[in-house]
Amino acid sequence: MDFDFNPDQYLLRDSVHTFLTDQWGPRKLRAADARFSPDLWNGLRGLGLQTLLVPEEFEGSGLGLVDLVLVLEEFGRALVPGPLADTVLASEIIARFGSPSQRSSLLPKIASGDCRIAFAHAQSGAGHTAAEVTLQARHSAGEWHLFGQKILVPGAQAATHLLVSAKPDGGEAGLFICPVDDTAVSIQSHRAVDPDSLLCQVAFEGTTAQPIGAITDGRALARLLETSTLAAAIQMVGIAAASLDMAVAYAKQRTQFDRPIGAFQAIKHKFADMLVALEGARSAAYYASWALAEDDSAAALAVSMAKATCADACRLICNDVLQIHGGVGFTWGYDVHFYLKRGKLLEYAFGDASFHRERVAHIVLDDSDSGPADRQSTAANAA
Amino acid sequence: MDFRDTPAEAALREDVRHWLRDNLPTGWGTTVREPEDEAARFAFRFDWEKRLYRGGWSGIAWPREYGGRDATPIEQAIFLEEMARADAPEGVNIIGRNLTWPTLMAHGTEAQKLRYLPAILRGEEMWCQGFSEPNSGSDLASARCRATRDGDAYVVNGQKIWTSFAQYAHWCILLARTDPSAVKHRGLSFLLVDMRTPGITIRPLVQITGETDFSEVFFDDVRVPADNLVGELNQGWRIAMTTLQFERGPEEALPRQVRFRRDLDRLFQIAATTQRGGRPVSSDPVLRQKLAACYIDLELMRLNGLRGLTRVAKGKDLGPESSFAKLYWSHMYQRLTEVALEVVGAESALAASDPDAVAEGFFSHRFLQSRAMTIYSGTSEIQRNIIAERVLGLPK
Repeated sequence: MDFDFNPDQYLLRDSVHTFLTDQWGPRKLRAADARFSPDLWNGLRGLGLQTLLVPEEFEGSGLGLVDLVLVLEEFGRALVPGPLADTVLASEIIARFGSPSQRSSLLPKIASGDCRIAFAHAQSGAGHTAAEVTLQARHSAGEWHLFGQKILVPGAQAATHLLVSAKPDGGEAGLFICPVDDTAVSIQSHRAVDPDSLLCQVAFEGTTAQPIGAITDGRALARLLETSTLAAAIQMVGIAAASLDMAVAYAKQRTQFDRPIGAFQAIKHKFADMLVALEGARSAAYYASWALAEDDSAAALAVSMAKATCADACRLICNDVLQIHGGVGFTWGYDVHFYLKRGKLLEYAFGDASFHRERVAHIVLDDSDSGPADRQSTAANAA
Repeated sequence: MDFRDTPAEAALREDVRHWLRDNLPTGWGTTVREPEDEAARFAFRFDWEKRLYRGGWSGIAWPREYGGRDATPIEQAIFLEEMARADAPEGVNIIGRNLTWPTLMAHGTEAQKLRYLPAILRGEEMWCQGFSEPNSGSDLASARCRATRDGDAYVVNGQKIWTSFAQYAHWCILLARTDPSAVKHRGLSFLLVDMRTPGITIRPLVQITGETDFSEVFFDDVRVPADNLVGELNQGWRIAMTTLQFERGPEEALPRQVRFRRDLDRLFQIAATTQRGGRPVSSDPVLRQKLAACYIDLELMRLNGLRGLTRVAKGKDLGPESSFAKLYWSHMYQRLTEVALEVVGAESALAASDPDAVAEGFFSHRFLQSRAMTIYSGTSEIQRNIIAERVLGLPK
């Protein structure tokens, strides 16, 4: 049993942290003005981030989700916009489920930083489960064409390719890939509450696309939904951690009634509860990264626990951090709102806390063959 | 990162399971249970500790030179987890093992270690903890129970309260004031007091559950040999802080989580079999949210514990982070018992002895018992202060 990261994993985390602290975060977001930053992308390429989950045979680093999770926490902390995280997650999907030609054509380009992929999944008026996907995939003359609309696609305008969840007639929803330079794809920026999230609406009007894996096989989409859920969860941990740091610094320096406000128990106790929530969220998200990386039998359970826990923690912390800042926390000029808004976006991405608690309930309550104790992963040694 | 047992860990786990199968009474947990009567239950548990010693399982994490096995913190956690999983009797010498032992290891003289540690290991001497007083609860440093030097002894006068196991204990770790003129925490000393010394009166307190797990202890001219001072005179506060760290750490949280888990399993069973509105309670969407939250919270307790344990196993200090675990699980378990009462419904009004009680009134009893959790070993308010001040560095 070892619930810790290794020195290499911490080293990677530290280099990403150093780079992002210097090159990104709210200060740069204000300057970037809701535009994709090639400098950020190239800087992260310098750190080799795009190669992380690409297998070594395709010029990647061949690492896994446990190596990635600390990096994504830093993405959250620095409010890195899509399609950076999506591209890294897409590389794992292509490596696992892609055809030989997809693997050999896309993976080296992802590793070299020349291919940027956004995940187009959400649809207006639908939840985010695979079963609710209605965007159509039609097969004709040996090709697949996509028809319909996706919303809330992070960074689609900056992407070279889209991974799209779509449903063939009479079949199960699956995952397709298409280049964005197809004239049958039109991408519009949303007017988003968090403009730096780079959210887009994407319309598909007969776009030519290739399925990832076998057509009737929902495994690629199922996997990407799990890893994307984890990515949302761990980014909320980073967001919450950055917010908390800001508030701690503020509470030490802001004086009222001749004392730093951090000396008042009403403030201290909020902080203690926030820290406990944050550490629980970390534990849950780190564990889920391991469970997914190992394809553990409890991976889906671990992911839903992580999403529910991180969403609740992030909401608690972002709200209390604003409250602790008082009036200035409500101003555009302070950075509090950047974290509040990105956290809110991720809270609802890929299912909110209630959705994931119900998923947990289904797994642990509805299977009468085995009690809940048997539902723990292999790691619980419940054999 | 790897949540699986190493081969050595798996082998140890198998050893413990095997030993427990051979040593727990036949029918344990189904037909055979602990005695109902408190004194009989104490004797039963105390015997169990002796059996553990004979089996070589007592103090496995302790150094070989003091009778232990030099087990790593992870091995110790595995042992305790398996004990909890088998619902083996809980230890009664909790103060001796978890508090006296590490405190003496850190601050005791060699003579004190040799005198007291083996008897704890063998399950021969029970300990209690004399810290809190009627007017010194959260403000522990204001303790007034006095110890005055008289020849080769300290003479103790005063009162302690909430003393668990006092009526069974042979020894007491006592925090007493030795310098009334010094500022609060500078005038305290740490003494080892033989509970059989003349002048000690124990008066059990009845809890809201009707049980009497703790007592008031009165000291009237109780003579304590000067050799029983731990550490330097008037340095007792620092020593007591060591003691308190061990009261709240991750080694303790993991087996506790396993025991809580069994309670949750029981709750899930009740939820599946209790009908309300013509359907099982476990199909009610609102209660499903709450039951899932209980499951997740308990998993977080396990995961937080494993993270803390890994830290300890890598030789990092427990530190003030040990406050996290206790603050977390105490509130979590209180929530769990409240969800349980909601599942049981109106019949939660029935006590264990009523034939109509659900699950022998188990959760009603647990609900009451759990009220103490956010108070003992430092209230939640004190824990939050510690976290804010010592982990986040907020001003006093």
